[in-house]
Amino acid sequence: MTNLTRAVLALLVLSHLFLHVGMGFGHGAPDLFLVAALVAGRLSQVGVAAGLGFGLGLLEDAFSVLSFGSNAFALAVTGIAASRSRDLFVGDSVLFLFFYFLVGKWVRDLLAWLVSDAMVRDSFVQHLLVDAPLAGVYAAAAGIAVVTLLRTQPGSWE
Amino acid sequence: MAGLQLDRPEQRRRQWLTALAFVIAAALLLYLPRPAQASLGNALRTSILAPFVELNGALSRARARAADFDVLRAQMDSALALLAAQRTLAEENRQLRGLLELRGRDRSRLIAATVLRSGTAGAESAFTLDVGAVQGVVPFAPVLTEHGILGVVAEVRENHSLAIDWSHPEFRVSAMTADGESHGLVEAARGRFREQDRLILQGADFLSDIAPGAEVVTSGRGGVFPRGVLIGWAGEVAGTSSGWSKSYYVIPAVAPGAVSHALVELPRPVGGSAGEGGAPRPGGSGSSP
Repeated sequence: MTNLTRAVLALLVLSHLFLHVGMGFGHGAPDLFLVAALVAGRLSQVGVAAGLGFGLGLLEDAFSVLSFGSNAFALAVTGIAASRSRDLFVGDSVLFLFFYFLVGKWVRDLLAWLVSDAMVRDSFVQHLLVDAPLAGVYAAAAGIAVVTLLRTQPGSWE
Repeated sequence: MAGLQLDRPEQRRRQWLTALAFVIAAALLLYLPRPAQASLGNALRTSILAPFVELNGALSRARARAADFDVLRAQMDSALALLAAQRTLAEENRQLRGLLELRGRDRSRLIAATVLRSGTAGAESAFTLDVGAVQGVVPFAPVLTEHGILGVVAEVRENHSLAIDWSHPEFRVSAMTADGESHGLVEAARGRFREQDRLILQGADFLSDIAPGAEVVTSGRGGVFPRGVLIGWAGEVAGTSSGWSKSYYVIPAVAPGAVSHALVELPRPVGGSAGEGGAPRPGGSGSSP
């Protein structure tokens, strides 16, 4: 992982906190924690990816009243899957990246939904068939922009 | 990707064990007792997340300050008019209570608070208040706005509190129609989509006939919420229960997402009845006897 990659990952984390916690944007801002976890997952070993996902998810859970731990679990597992995806799927096209981030977001939301308290979570239709795909497209746009930035320096992404 | 060759099996195994440990730790978080989860959440909010929470509060306060002067002036005029109209009423009430030898009513103690909403996943029905134990806030303290009831405090920390709004599945408030004819329990009714969330009045008499648009206010039963605070307006009948009770949809008076400023009711001092009336209840025309 190059210094540019580390800087971009740190910027993604800070931007997520600024937009979601500082500014209070909910769905108005992309899920940059997920983008960071997926980018780091492709570039790091499975334990590191899981640890990063766990840490970011824990920060996200700090404001949760009834489903504490669901984001930590979802992002840790997503980080592992992202790290494993390197061995299973090879591709650097924009289309591949689009589906990588889109599916990553959907899986992250599915995992969080599955382990959340049934009393608090949204309906399956709203959460996974409406919100998650839209948020996935948003995250994919942000993710592609991030990867494009990383590609400007050799060794930061490929 | 480059530089990620894990040739040595033991290194690969160590990585997988680390990953597994994180997943187990995350799964354990889900089953931690609620106080432990709350303490961990609070530790994060007051350390790593503190600058961002502060920023959210500053923005919220700035938004409140930027409110149109004319609107604020009109609100103050309305409040003054209401106060002037009730002055004689309070005196009359005091005399009648004296004749009936009733003790004076407790005065409500409200403190202003800024509402901070985090846009993180899983925090949709929760919000943070910038007042806590130092200011006298206690768990289950009602959170009110000028339009009516917003929610209830769930967790109290030194200088901030975590509260849930009426759309949270754990929210409950005992309620009645403004004329006092029908009583029940109001709770959140999830819509198919979150935008369709509303409230439902459960347990009203089967023979009750609440007209659509009738005001539904807090009844004060249970002692958590003060009596007479506006909850919303009755809608259509939601269902009946075997000829015993009816439930009605309630259109909420407060849109939680739009609130940036609220009032938290503090507990009354033990044995401290401070004369008549108390502060006018938010939501206006509730039937507060």
